[in-house]
Amino acid sequence: MSSNTQNDGEDEDTMITVADGVDHQVAMVMDLNKCIGCQTCTIACKSLWTEDGGSEYMYWNNVETKPGEGYPRGWEESGGGWQSEEHSDRQTGEIPDREDYGRAWEFNHEEIMYEGSDEPLRPRDGAEWGPNWDEDEGVGEYPNSYYFYLPRICNHCTHPSCVEACPRSALYKREEDGIVLVDQDRCRGYRYCVEGCPYKKVYYNTVSKKSEKCIFCYPRIEGEGPDGETFAPACAEECPPQLRLVGFLDDEDGPIYKLVEEYEVALPLHPEFQTQPNVYYIPPFAPPQHTDEGESVDVDRIPRQYLRELFGDRVDEALDTIERERQRARQGADSELMEILQDKNPAEQYRLEVFEDA
Amino acid sequence: MTDRRHRRALVAAALVATLVVVSTVATPLASARPAHEIPVVERPDGPLDGPDADGWEAVPASDVPLTSAPSSVPNADNTTIEEVNVQAATTDDQLFVRLEWHDQTRDESASDVRAFADAVAVQFPANRSARPPIAMGGQDNRVNVWYWSGDTGTQELLAGGAGSTTPFDEPVIDATATHGGTGENATWTVVYSRPLDATSENRTAISDDGDLDVAFAVWNGSNGERAGQKAVSEWYYFPMSGGPGGPPYQTLLWTLAGLAIVAVTAVTAFGVYRAGGGPN
Repeated sequence: MSSNTQNDGEDEDTMITVADGVDHQVAMVMDLNKCIGCQTCTIACKSLWTEDGGSEYMYWNNVETKPGEGYPRGWEESGGGWQSEEHSDRQTGEIPDREDYGRAWEFNHEEIMYEGSDEPLRPRDGAEWGPNWDEDEGVGEYPNSYYFYLPRICNHCTHPSCVEACPRSALYKREEDGIVLVDQDRCRGYRYCVEGCPYKKVYYNTVSKKSEKCIFCYPRIEGEGPDGETFAPACAEECPPQLRLVGFLDDEDGPIYKLVEEYEVALPLHPEFQTQPNVYYIPPFAPPQHTDEGESVDVDRIPRQYLRELFGDRVDEALDTIERERQRARQGADSELMEILQDKNPAEQYRLEVFEDA
Repeated sequence: MTDRRHRRALVAAALVATLVVVSTVATPLASARPAHEIPVVERPDGPLDGPDADGWEAVPASDVPLTSAPSSVPNADNTTIEEVNVQAATTDDQLFVRLEWHDQTRDESASDVRAFADAVAVQFPANRSARPPIAMGGQDNRVNVWYWSGDTGTQELLAGGAGSTTPFDEPVIDATATHGGTGENATWTVVYSRPLDATSENRTAISDDGDLDVAFAVWNGSNGERAGQKAVSEWYYFPMSGGPGGPPYQTLLWTLAGLAIVAVTAVTAFGVYRAGGGPN
């Protein structure tokens, strides 16, 4: 066990807080400036884990347009998480409505393919909401409208309120790597985890009548694949722009540690939920606002206040740091941060075999 | 004079005594039962194997009040079912328990993310030597639970404290359920049955002696009730050796209290009459 893996919180060498009883903590950093909203991650995940009956409506990985309602619709206002950083009292939450997740639409394939109908291919009645319904809408007016994509998976939190919410301890944080899992034998479908997760990343399987969630592709990182090779989660590996870094938060030599702990440019989503996520985001940059004539003006296109609402007040410093380092790189100076953000060393992108006991 | 007064007093006393004795005999004193006893009828005429089976007509029913269970789950104090009506009977080889309660909504599906099913449970000590903690038993003192839900049907469970519920691999419980009536009169009726002889580790032994502790829980699915959000009873018991099956002690006590009031009134009236209207 390395020196930074004490279970008693912050140790002498690092500021890493790994959950009690957990040896190492898996983590992911997503660079929002690289996401093109192609949903390849979503499909990679879905085709691997959620194609069976009862899980059709689930997207353990989804990509939503921000600003926007997200998936499930309005999840940011659905409650859950903790009332304070003391982690003593949980915030009440709601189970999202099925309509807020969106239903599988029925299309008029039959009419068009077999009955000679001339009508366009389209959903039958009832297509009034769904994941990505508000894709690319964003807000603001031409020429200063804006939006960006936000890929989301389970945050495998250090203080997972879903785990605390379960009266049966069916959810648990895995000792070796902090992955949060639902024990399918213990789950009795009470759904306190669904309402207790402020990110709404635990889902109820309507056929098995048990809850399910992102498993951080643990069989892949354990090398359970055909050739015994270790792979990063499918959402990361399949990403065309390769915007995700995967590794351990307590791996001090890895890029995740540097981005999160040293440069502090990778931030958790909605830190005010107090669950301490282990998925981190490089906040999005956007060109400044334009005049009608196309002249740039010195006004943020994405209002800073909106980014603070998503990533907390530390977003200001993070953006300033990136801007400063970018300037350094432009002027020809070395910038480790820019090197990391550009994945100049692909071998560092997925660091999953650094600990023997993880 | 003195003799006549004494004779009158004696007559009055005899009258009151007679009144009390007659009333007491008229009340089925011998068959009264304690408040927490639920009579078990042995081999009633007619079948018991369903909510509407004829045999149940001869089985007295007990109204068991329910209150929200103490629990740490959200909304634990928000429950809607206030009473369950319980009947119990045995045949040569089966114990039957019939439960009936009012529930306007028939919630039989948990196939939507927000849907929860109605359910009912009967709890026994897994080991009858000591009464377990009422809330799902304790680690060293487990409970054997018969569980039925509109969604999953019947399960036989073992629990040793809240959150430890575990299904038996080889359950021996059967249940049939019906939901009838409309509006406020709509009721669920569930009849459980279990072989009397179904010996197994962690399963309650049912014998024809002593009292068998029993408790009840009901969940209203449309109110989001599940897990610890449930309406529960206190411990009751089935007198397995065939205890008294008459009205509960409460009824008897109220009857006695009424008689006492009548008697006191009579004596007082007699005294007043004698003091005012008697000789001298």
